[in-house]
Amino acid sequence: MGTARRHHRSTRELFDQRSLALDEVEPGPRVARPPVIRRLWFCVYLPQLPLEAAGPGDGARVVVEDRQGIHRVLLACPRAGAAGIMPGQSANAALALLPGLLIEERSEVAEQQALEHLAGWLERFSSMVNFAGPDVLLVEIAGSLRLYGGLLKLRQQIAAGLEQQGFTASLAIAPTPLAATWLARGGRRACVRDSANIGTALRALSLSCLDWPAATCESLAAMGVRNIGECLRLPREGFARRFGPQRLLQLDRALGRLPDPRTSWRAPERFCADHEMTEEQSDRELLLAICRELLQSHERFLLARQLGVQSIQFSFFHLRSPATILHLGCVEAERRADRWFDLLRLQSEQLVLPEPVIAVRLQGGHTQALQTESGRLVFRGKTAGRGMRFSIAQLAERLVARVGRQSVAGVTAVAEHRPQLAWRPRNLLKEKSMAQVSTARGRLQRPLWMLPEPARLHVDEGYPLHQGRLQILDGPERLETGWWDEDSIARDYYTAINPRGMRLWVFRTRNRDADWYLHGFFG
Amino acid sequence: MQRDSSSLDKLLENPRVWRGHNQAHAPNGLASGYEALDRHLPGGGWPQNALTEILVEHYGIGELRLLMPALATLSTADNGMDYNEPGWIAWVSPPFQPYPPALQQWGVDLSRMLIVRPRDASEMLWSAEQALSSGTCAAVLLWSDTLDDQASRRLQLAAEKGNSWAIAFRPPAARRQPSAAALRIELLPGQEGTRVSILKSRGGRPAVLHDLL
Repeated sequence: MGTARRHHRSTRELFDQRSLALDEVEPGPRVARPPVIRRLWFCVYLPQLPLEAAGPGDGARVVVEDRQGIHRVLLACPRAGAAGIMPGQSANAALALLPGLLIEERSEVAEQQALEHLAGWLERFSSMVNFAGPDVLLVEIAGSLRLYGGLLKLRQQIAAGLEQQGFTASLAIAPTPLAATWLARGGRRACVRDSANIGTALRALSLSCLDWPAATCESLAAMGVRNIGECLRLPREGFARRFGPQRLLQLDRALGRLPDPRTSWRAPERFCADHEMTEEQSDRELLLAICRELLQSHERFLLARQLGVQSIQFSFFHLRSPATILHLGCVEAERRADRWFDLLRLQSEQLVLPEPVIAVRLQGGHTQALQTESGRLVFRGKTAGRGMRFSIAQLAERLVARVGRQSVAGVTAVAEHRPQLAWRPRNLLKEKSMAQVSTARGRLQRPLWMLPEPARLHVDEGYPLHQGRLQILDGPERLETGWWDEDSIARDYYTAINPRGMRLWVFRTRNRDADWYLHGFFG
Repeated sequence: MQRDSSSLDKLLENPRVWRGHNQAHAPNGLASGYEALDRHLPGGGWPQNALTEILVEHYGIGELRLLMPALATLSTADNGMDYNEPGWIAWVSPPFQPYPPALQQWGVDLSRMLIVRPRDASEMLWSAEQALSSGTCAAVLLWSDTLDDQASRRLQLAAEKGNSWAIAFRPPAARRQPSAAALRIELLPGQEGTRVSILKSRGGRPAVLHDLL
């Protein structure tokens, strides 16, 4: 028995070698073979995807597509097919055949989502999952075989999982991505492990599996070329000239003569979830409860990945007006639903919803690794200091949520001689800063209050006025700087006092007008 | 249990019994940086964990200078009491922009400034309460023309809760309104200098200080 099998294999190998030799002679000069890295591509082709992405259904269903203004059947479920409904029929014709038929419009978005969902599931089998087309997924499994106990078991697991999730899939395994794809499209339950056998496996595949333009296939058919084997027998140069170098490249890649690098797909790290309601709602508490649910699933999403986000966005959709958007921000990456909900509650008090809400969407911001801090060992005596309820970050978040982003700020000094440019506000939610204690105590006093813009003072007999005549206490301090940009200044600053006891910081411009301006108060 | 002294203790434990004596031994105040003022304040400084009201008619007569040494201490030191970080100083609806270079000259740590500009009175009170009770802010300064008795009580409670120092700047007309503040000071401007008048001081006595600022 054993010897018989060995014998059988050896004749097959002989046959393969002969066929490969033929291939190599016929298409012309051989391309240098790259160093061999063993790869094995598992192709999942989903021919029924448009139907399956529309969701599970019991009755006879078809998916229709708008073609030149007429809805035509794209795919029919087996039951509809049994009633004689064929792809390409108009929707009306299909309805006439089967009055109870459920007609669904094709949704490419839903298909893409289903495919992404599946890709996320397939990621457990390999780190390399590739989108090879709108209905094709490729998984590189060479490295996973040992873990899953061999090719057969792995294949069984994937097939069972796909079936469980309600997908009809055509599976194929080959050492090159294109060969696997074509074999799967051809409906062959092929499993080619050795790249030497690709040629044989592909030989009989019809050209319709290749996803080439119809015109190319037609002209090839007119030449009597109907399958890949016949295609490979054509002279390489002539083939490239007539049908484009791309086609030749594809054939070479499928046969493993040229490398075919693929990018691996990564599950999106941003959370997005919708909650759709059966009817419009305007009850705040109910909406908040929905938001809380969304936040909790957001937390689970982040927890599984050990990630946090700094911002999230709620969209409240209305039937007739554009969606109301609500942004929430956090100082540090955060995932806890409670904390986000706390901020949401604060901000929702100000939220104006123009209409009842029909759906709520939660979108997470860019994720980042959670920054954890070790707890502080606090020795609290009877003279204990402030009991920490919030950190400054939390306080700033709460304030921002209620009074608005522009209304909460820190300050930072800027090394600049022009008084109005010597500082800038600091965003407490973004910038962290180190202690900034005095660096310039020696200079002339600066006022504690600053006016947003210098206010021009009236002058009475040469004395500037501000609720009475000003009396100069100190000065001048000449500031003449900024000639390098448009904000150049030339001023003499004085400290002055008015009859009401207010100490003012005033300046006189050093141009011809010599106007007096008030710039601040020594609070 | 039958002894007289214990029943007296029991009586004194009753929260309705108020003893001025206890108030006089107020917890240590925060040194104001002005010796004359410290001498007149119970505890030798600004009352902590409480509301201080400062009544001013115009800005720029020294209302901030009066506070600056204490604020500088709060923003830089760790109080010597605990391993707490130095506190933040919140400015709620200031009338002008607090000018950072001047704050630096007074020795205040700029990285601990929090400036909030709420849109209305209710937001202002809410922000001040949040900052006070957060336990993060060592001092919260707020400017309001519309503070009432109830609001001052809320601020006082929030300051106690967060072990913080609330400072409310109010117009002189507020003198006639009752307030829960532990300390009330009026600044009286004049050409010869601003006088500081202590109107109300829990555990202390009213006084007028000249030549302070």
